[in-house]
Amino acid sequence: MSVVWDLALPQVCGLGLHLCLDGFRLVYICIAILMWTVSGVFSKEYMAHYKNHGRYYGFFWATFAATVGVFLSADLYTTFIFFEIMSFTSYVWVAFDERRESLRAAQTYLAVAVIGGMVMLLGLFLLYDLFGTLEIDRLGGMAKEVLNNREGAADGISKRCGIFPSSAAQLYTAAGLLLFGFGAKAGMFPLHIWLPKAHPEAPAPTSALLSGILTKAGVFGIIVVSMVLFEAEEAWGTLIVALGLITMFLGAFLAVFSINLKRTLACSSISQIGFILTGIGMSCLLKSAGESNALAVRGAFLHMVNHSLFKLVLFLCAGVVFMNLHQLELNDIRGFGRKKPVLAFCFLMGALGIGGIPLWNGYISKTLIHESIVEYMELMGSPSVWKNVEWVFLFSGGMTVAYMLKLFVALFVEKHPQRQAEFDSMKGMNRFSAIALSAAAVILPVLGFAPHLTMDRIADLGQEFFLGAHGHQVSYFSFQNLKGGLISIGIGVVLYVVVVRGYFMEKEAEGKRYVNRWPSWLDLENLIYRPIINAFLAISAVVCRCVDQGIDGIVLLARVTTHSQKPKPRQQHDMNQLAYSLGYMIDRMGDFADRLRLPGKKRAGERKSVIPKLVRREQEIKVTGKLVEESFSFGLLLFCIGLCLTLGYLLAMFWAL
Amino acid sequence: MMSKVYLALPVFLPILGGLFLLAIRSEIVGEKRERYMNIGVEALVLLNSLIVFWILFKMYSFPEAGEFRLVLFKLFGNLTVMFKLDRMGSVFAGLVAFLWPLATLFAFEYMKEEHRKPAFFAYYMMTYGVTMGIAFAGSLITLYLFYETLTLVTFPLVLHPLTREAARASRQYLYYSIGGAAFAFLGLVFVLGFSATGNTEFLPGGVLNPVMAQGKENILLSIYVMAFFGFGVKTALFPCHGWLPKATVAPTPVTALLHAVAVVKSGAFAILRFTYFSFGIEFLKGTWAQWVVMAAAMITIAYGSTMAVREVHWKRRLAYSTISNLSYILFGATLMSPVGLAAALSHLVAHAFMKICAFFCAGAVMHQTGKTYIYELEGLGKRMPVTFGCLTISGLSLMGIPLFAGFISKWNLCQAAFVCGGQASGSNFGWLPYVGVCVILYSALMTGIYMLTVSVRAYFPRNEGAVRKGQEKNCDPNWKMLLPLSVFAAAILFIGLHSEPLMQLLTAIGGEMG
Repeated sequence: MSVVWDLALPQVCGLGLHLCLDGFRLVYICIAILMWTVSGVFSKEYMAHYKNHGRYYGFFWATFAATVGVFLSADLYTTFIFFEIMSFTSYVWVAFDERRESLRAAQTYLAVAVIGGMVMLLGLFLLYDLFGTLEIDRLGGMAKEVLNNREGAADGISKRCGIFPSSAAQLYTAAGLLLFGFGAKAGMFPLHIWLPKAHPEAPAPTSALLSGILTKAGVFGIIVVSMVLFEAEEAWGTLIVALGLITMFLGAFLAVFSINLKRTLACSSISQIGFILTGIGMSCLLKSAGESNALAVRGAFLHMVNHSLFKLVLFLCAGVVFMNLHQLELNDIRGFGRKKPVLAFCFLMGALGIGGIPLWNGYISKTLIHESIVEYMELMGSPSVWKNVEWVFLFSGGMTVAYMLKLFVALFVEKHPQRQAEFDSMKGMNRFSAIALSAAAVILPVLGFAPHLTMDRIADLGQEFFLGAHGHQVSYFSFQNLKGGLISIGIGVVLYVVVVRGYFMEKEAEGKRYVNRWPSWLDLENLIYRPIINAFLAISAVVCRCVDQGIDGIVLLARVTTHSQKPKPRQQHDMNQLAYSLGYMIDRMGDFADRLRLPGKKRAGERKSVIPKLVRREQEIKVTGKLVEESFSFGLLLFCIGLCLTLGYLLAMFWAL
Repeated sequence: MMSKVYLALPVFLPILGGLFLLAIRSEIVGEKRERYMNIGVEALVLLNSLIVFWILFKMYSFPEAGEFRLVLFKLFGNLTVMFKLDRMGSVFAGLVAFLWPLATLFAFEYMKEEHRKPAFFAYYMMTYGVTMGIAFAGSLITLYLFYETLTLVTFPLVLHPLTREAARASRQYLYYSIGGAAFAFLGLVFVLGFSATGNTEFLPGGVLNPVMAQGKENILLSIYVMAFFGFGVKTALFPCHGWLPKATVAPTPVTALLHAVAVVKSGAFAILRFTYFSFGIEFLKGTWAQWVVMAAAMITIAYGSTMAVREVHWKRRLAYSTISNLSYILFGATLMSPVGLAAALSHLVAHAFMKICAFFCAGAVMHQTGKTYIYELEGLGKRMPVTFGCLTISGLSLMGIPLFAGFISKWNLCQAAFVCGGQASGSNFGWLPYVGVCVILYSALMTGIYMLTVSVRAYFPRNEGAVRKGQEKNCDPNWKMLLPLSVFAAAILFIGLHSEPLMQLLTAIGGEMG
């Protein structure tokens, strides 16, 4: 679908905004509207017990507008503007609870957003400097020209590039910076640190949005960079695939360890973003090899869509739990979902979807990405490195199954040792929330049962934006394709039984409880980022303080050496003589004037002597005068130095002549 | 050509008004007379601003009216003291004329409980006139004269609290300023000596005679660097920045208007004039002098924002932020290109609004609650919604977040830096502008830390007990403070959203350089 609507606002915000609507954007606007509607309905119940409703809904809808702006943007400048607004308005969500932990999480979120924004801006500067435009449509061709001319550097476009050896180098630097900026929002390794902290702290409806769609705004940027700028770059594709694999694996790994409901979901988001990134990277690689990249493009895009939908459902389910219990640790919420069929249905749909179970939508997109890896592997002659890539992919899929199984069993199968009766009597959620939530949950199997009818069409809409080629029809349920999915599921079940039930659970008095086996010191943020920033601030402050006193030091030195001031002996009596004599005269004159008056007119009171007043004034004048005098004399001294220097220079000049 | 006598009006009207107020200051006692004084001062300031706007309107609407120049007197020979209004002067004049009446309004409320109000307002008005003189100055010697006068009329304002601290701060201010002016004087002498026109009148592209300058480039360049640092004292250029954070002891209207706009921007304006209209960028571009001053500006940017993060006193933190931001302007100036000049001017305008807004918020909080340290602000955001709303806008703008004015100027600065870096790719120091961009972004990050922590503390108090029951009542100040605040916040948003007219004007000014 080509561009159906185009809006340029050339005079707004400096360079001007440019929005447009095509198939990809249309899909994402629809998803945004769906997500905000469902979480809006859900918020009504969830937020009932909170204060500050105005603040909540204000920032809720402001973020909606900004997010829509990001997805509609037709140039990267517009993207950046809405992206920044989105970061700042969603900050309020994370900090909303105003507890110490949420403020700390919000601080991390803000720091990542601000740093990411600055780095992205730097990238935009470089890009704008190189091409003179940030229009997404025009960048592609220009970038291709730069990359093709890499060897013949003598021609027009690659001669002037400041400190960069070539235009291609500048392009790569710019793209790397943009990747950093967008990746920070997307949750790409190693910038994923904010997700596991911020998502659990934000109110559930907003964590659904944070995870479901705000991260996708970052992915949107990565797509623009990868698909438009580096359409067929092998090196770039490899980088994205590598980052994607790490992110995918690490996220799933963290999620298996986590024993907090929302934290698990947040880590799962990291992992799923990794899947999407892998798809994006694969499409670069396939294109660079001269193949059709339709599989990878469609897989990446559909996984984006799917992940938005899963996370909407799953986080809102977590919201139901939190709304009732105000707890998220798996040990505390065990068995909450028993005898709550609606909740169980919704959660199950989400879990099956994200786990990549055939007939649910996650399976379709994962299969596509998997197939693209296989295709590239065969193209390369099946080297062992790509075999390993495939296994990482399948293993991550397996871990996804394992952690979702862990959550599902904990919530809906196990019983709470003490509070089970209390849990069973809780209603869960009201009717409106239930309708909204189930409506969102029903979409997942609908998409998955009839992929050719639904998902293929969505992919057709979206793939033009990725500059993807139209590919052949994929038979999703052929044995070849089912095999990958089944391997993952197998790995997942084994992992769950052996590792989760075996290693992550501990015997207690009645049954078992979950334990957090993750070493607490192993936290990228606390281990590396925060110490680095704090150390940097401390060192820079010390350096600044040291140089701070430079000029003052010179003045002080002058005062103790060449311009030392001797304390003057005090002359109390001489000091006010003028005031005394003047005051005496004025008093006398006043008396004289009184005498001249007619005797009938009597004065109201005794005339006061003006002497004390004058003395005070004189002292004041003298003190300020002295101050001014000293200051002036010093100023003049400096002035004289300047003049002497002038003369010196003049003399030197004439000497030279 | 008819000389435009009315050019002198906005300069001398406030000065005379201030002198008159000084003369009758002992008569102003009691509430009623003070109110009359307030009305009189505000009327005069407003009238003066209207005159300025009228002149600007005339200048832009009737280009056939000829050059706006007025020769006041001749010192000797060709050395004339004259006013000349060109487009660059008009930007500064318009900015100052817009800010002054609002700042005065704020000052009435702020100074309500203070002593010696007449003297304060007298000097406050006189500063207005002197600043106008700098904006209108048509030659370097005129600029220099008003520049020195500015030091003298603002000195009593810093001294105003009459505490030991204020005395020390004002003395330091005087040392630094007069010392700096001496170096600037050096530049003046040389410009006069090497001028092609025989006087120091400002001409786009500079007045240096290339033939005379031949063979003496290095001396001239060292003089340029010295004069740059000399004028740089007022813009708190590192290492001559020490006076600015100390001078925050002055009442907030002074810190806000003078030490964030009028005085410090006069310094920046003088540097722009001196660089672009006296020495000329043709002469300076690509020389070692350019790299030296650019490096100084960059060091100051990094230094100021780093110190601001460490500072816990609110006004001093803002003062450090000013140090850093003024050097953004200087960085733009040192790019020595038309786009650099336009970018520098855009930051000059944008920073004026942002910083005065931030300072007035600090002033409003001090006035209403007496709190001066950042850690005392816990939870105040809910009690003073309008004030902190404005503060957040100015904070985000200072950071350079889109939608706000600061983003526009930062974008322009960085863009100009890239252009400069691209053109200087042959030079040994062609990488400096690129580093400058990184420094600006680093500073933006620091700005994020030091400005947003204030807002965050105010809106999301760390300890629950900070806002006790009963204290939750709204304590926003009255309209005299809120009006300026909201006007400034609106201006920040307006420039951020629709900067086109302003940027066209500034680009045209840059275009004059050729």
